[in-house]
Order: sequence, then C-alpha cells, then structure tokens
Amino acid sequence: MENVIEIKGLTKIYKALDFWKNDRVVGVKNIDLSVEKGEVFGLLGLNGAGKTTLMKLMLGLLKPTAGDVKILGKSIDDIEVRAKIGYLSELPYFPKYLKVREVMDYFAELLGLPQRSKKARIEEVLEIVRLGAKSDTSIKGLSKGMQSRLGLAQAILNDPDLLFMDEPMSGLDPLGYKETRDIIIDLNKRGKTIFFNSHILSEVEKICHRVAVIHKGFLIDVQPMKTAMKKFGSMEKYFVAKIKAGDKA
Amino acid sequence: MRRIAAVAEYIFKQSFRNKILNVLILFAVFAIGFSLAISELAREAEVKMVVDFGLFAISLFAFLTIVLSMTVQLFEETELKTLTLIIVKPIKRYEYILGKYLGMMMTVLMNILIMLVILMLIVKFRGGEPWDIKLIEASMYSFLSVAILASAAMFLSVVTTSVPGCIIFLISIYAMGHLTIHLKNLADKTGGAVVKAAVDLIYYVVPNLELFNMKDKINSSQALFDLNYLGLVLGYTSLYIIVMLVLTSIIFSRKEF
Repeated sequence: MENVIEIKGLTKIYKALDFWKNDRVVGVKNIDLSVEKGEVFGLLGLNGAGKTTLMKLMLGLLKPTAGDVKILGKSIDDIEVRAKIGYLSELPYFPKYLKVREVMDYFAELLGLPQRSKKARIEEVLEIVRLGAKSDTSIKGLSKGMQSRLGLAQAILNDPDLLFMDEPMSGLDPLGYKETRDIIIDLNKRGKTIFFNSHILSEVEKICHRVAVIHKGFLIDVQPMKTAMKKFGSMEKYFVAKIKAGDKA
Repeated sequence: MRRIAAVAEYIFKQSFRNKILNVLILFAVFAIGFSLAISELAREAEVKMVVDFGLFAISLFAFLTIVLSMTVQLFEETELKTLTLIIVKPIKRYEYILGKYLGMMMTVLMNILIMLVILMLIVKFRGGEPWDIKLIEASMYSFLSVAILASAAMFLSVVTTSVPGCIIFLISIYAMGHLTIHLKNLADKTGGAVVKAAVDLIYYVVPNLELFNMKDKINSSQALFDLNYLGLVLGYTSLYIIVMLVLTSIIFSRKEF
C-alpha cells in the first residue's frame, strides 16, 4: 500500500519565550510515522502533548529542527502537493464583514479551481456542510458551529486526496459531530485519506482505522483500531493505559 | 497572478467593510469639511486655506488608513490565526505578501479619491478651481508617500507580532521620514564623523517623506511638478517599495505559524 504521509526522525525544539531565548522546549521528538492511502488516522494526546505541532510540521507551518516529512511522496513546499490537500484548523476564524460565499470564492481562487465549475462546486460544498441557505450571510451572522462548518467547507473544496483536521469536532453540537463524521466517512469511501487530532475518543472509535498516542512530544504507540479495541475494550481505556505507561517510561 | 489578485481583493473587501476604517473616512470627510470653517478666518485667502488644510487631511488620513488597516490585518493574522488556512493553500508566500500589499493600496487609493472629491467640491464652493492639476498631483504625491509607508508597514508586520509595537514603529517612521532630510543637512554642516555616519544610515533606511510634501509648494505660481522631479520620485518610490517587499517576502517565507 502507498504511503501518503512519511515521517522520519522528526523533531521540533522551540525556543522558549524567556528574554534571551536560551531555554528550549521539546515540541515533538524523533517521530517516525507513516500513513497509508485510504486510511482514517487518529492522533490522540493530552493538551500540549505535541498533536498540533506534529500537524503543523506536516503542513509546513513549522520548520523541523531535525528529520524529514513527505506528503504524497513530496515536500509540502511543493505547490502541487498543497493543491491536493485540505486543512481544517481548530476553531477557524474568518473576517466578519465578508459573506460566506465570498470567503469560499477566495479559497476557490487560491486553490485555482476552474472558473467554469467554481460556482457549482462552492454551492455543492456549502450544501454538504449545511450552509447552503447561509451563502449570502456575513460571517458575523454565523454561530461558532457554523463557522466550524465553513472551515470544513473550505478544507474539502478542492476534493482533497489527503485531509488534515485539527480537533474537527471543536465548537460543534452533537448533530455537527454526526455530520462531520459522515463527511469523513464519505470522503474515505471515495479513497481519500484523513489524518486528524481529537479529544473526542468516542468519535475516534467510530471512524478511525488506526490510532496513535503522542505524549510529551514522543509518539508512544501506534495501533490498528481493531487491535486496540480488542485489547482494551474502548478507546478511553486504551488511551488512559497508554498515557499511564508513557508517564512511567 | 490569479492568486495575487484574489488576496488583493480579499484584503480590500475586508478593509473597506471594516467599521473602524469607515469611521476613519467619516472623520476625514469631517476634517476636510472643517476647512470651510477655518477658511472664514482668512477672508483674503479662503481657497488657499481650504487647499492647505484639505491636503494635510488627505495625507494624514491616508497614513492613518494604513496604520488601521495593518493593525486589523496583523491582529487577525496573529491573534485569530487566520493565516494558517491561507498559506497551506497552493499559494507562494511572496504572492500572499504582494496581494496583501496591493489590497492595502487599493483601500488607500479609494480613501484618497473619496477625500479628493470632497476637497474639490469644497474648493468649488469657495470659488476656486476644483480641477486645478496641482491639487490632483499633490494628492497623487500623498498616495506615493503612503505607498512607501505601506511597504514599511508590511516589513514591520513580519518582523514583529506585537500590534502596539508595530504601530509605534510605523508612527516613528512617519515622523522620522519627515525629519531625516533636515537632520542630514544639519549633520553635514555641524556633525562629526560618527554623527554623520549615524544620520546617513537613518537617511537611507527611513523613507524620505519630504520628497512628497507638496503643501508648501502648491500655492506657488511656478511649475512645480516637472517631469524630472516626478521621475526621480517615482524611481525612489519604486526602488524603496521593491526592496521592502523583497525583504518582507524573504522573512515571511521563513516564518513559522
């Protein structure tokens, strides 16, 4: 099976915010990980464990201190690679004086969607995330959950081969959970790969093929979902056991 | 090109619909209108008074537009983290910088045009010549000075993430930009070698905004806006902006989010 994400010896050390910037803080250390095409991969960890740092390194938003990341077989700096991925940040924010359709049009232009099909694609995606009726509404008229759905809409606008989602359930109500889950499952059925960070273990349990646990910057475990469930019975038990083991190590 | 145009349009719409900037335009219109009241104090030179005050207001409010526009952008980029969703898209970082700069300049141009039209109406009301070419050229020089300041603002916005720090730096550049030529003249006449070197450094780094100051010359009968001078100013402006935007793009391409 083809690997769409390949990470080798990835390390990120931050300069601390003290005046002389002499202190160093480990973001992630010596991470080796690969994600296969067509997988839904869940990365679990406590707050500050390094989940977002790892995702930002994969997306090129942070530069690694050491190690290497390949996305779809190439560097993320390659424009062609970035045209094939989608990214949803945690609690995305959009300028409040713009309308939903204008925001989507902006992202469509950045993605270089063909002018002929752009409008239809925007409408299609807004329908998928249930914002079709809000397309002429200003962002300031959207609830937090609606803004999260708009974030999801821009992430899937280019029908990405690989979708990164940082806490995709943040700010959503239970119906939003289900809709996001359905979108992930639908994308995956069409052969897309999804990599996401989440605290919502019940959702991870429902949609992931494989899970990994990151703790204090170290990747301490990677398991197929079936194996983890068979051994621990639930994601919660699996997660707690791995964190405790990580603390002892 | 499509991506640069998209960013420019996005920044323009965002700035032009921002309530703070709209209030600023209202203040500018009010300030230019206020020149009517002031001109009552100088009965023999009403039009001169209106033009002087109007051009001062255009230059000041165009600068404030840049300060506020940059503040809004920087706040959204750093505090609300809007940039991450944009720069993971297939856009080169220098394209984003260029688009953002053009978007800011479109906002300033729109504001200057609005203020100029108001000023021309007031000049006409006071019995002056609204289509005086000098009035339009002086406004164009104001636009060029703000174009230079905007490039400096772009640079500051990538070297600091502190919004207040950025504003303070920009206001300092604005003030120093009007003083450097006088400082240089003074240092050349009276300063020692160290002072001269320090003043020279400031003179070449900080934009010389006095080049664009036409307020003192506008009422002169001489032909002030000759092509040689315009060419010199355009060359200086273009060079300064290119250097600033290249430096900004280099730093921005290395920046982490």
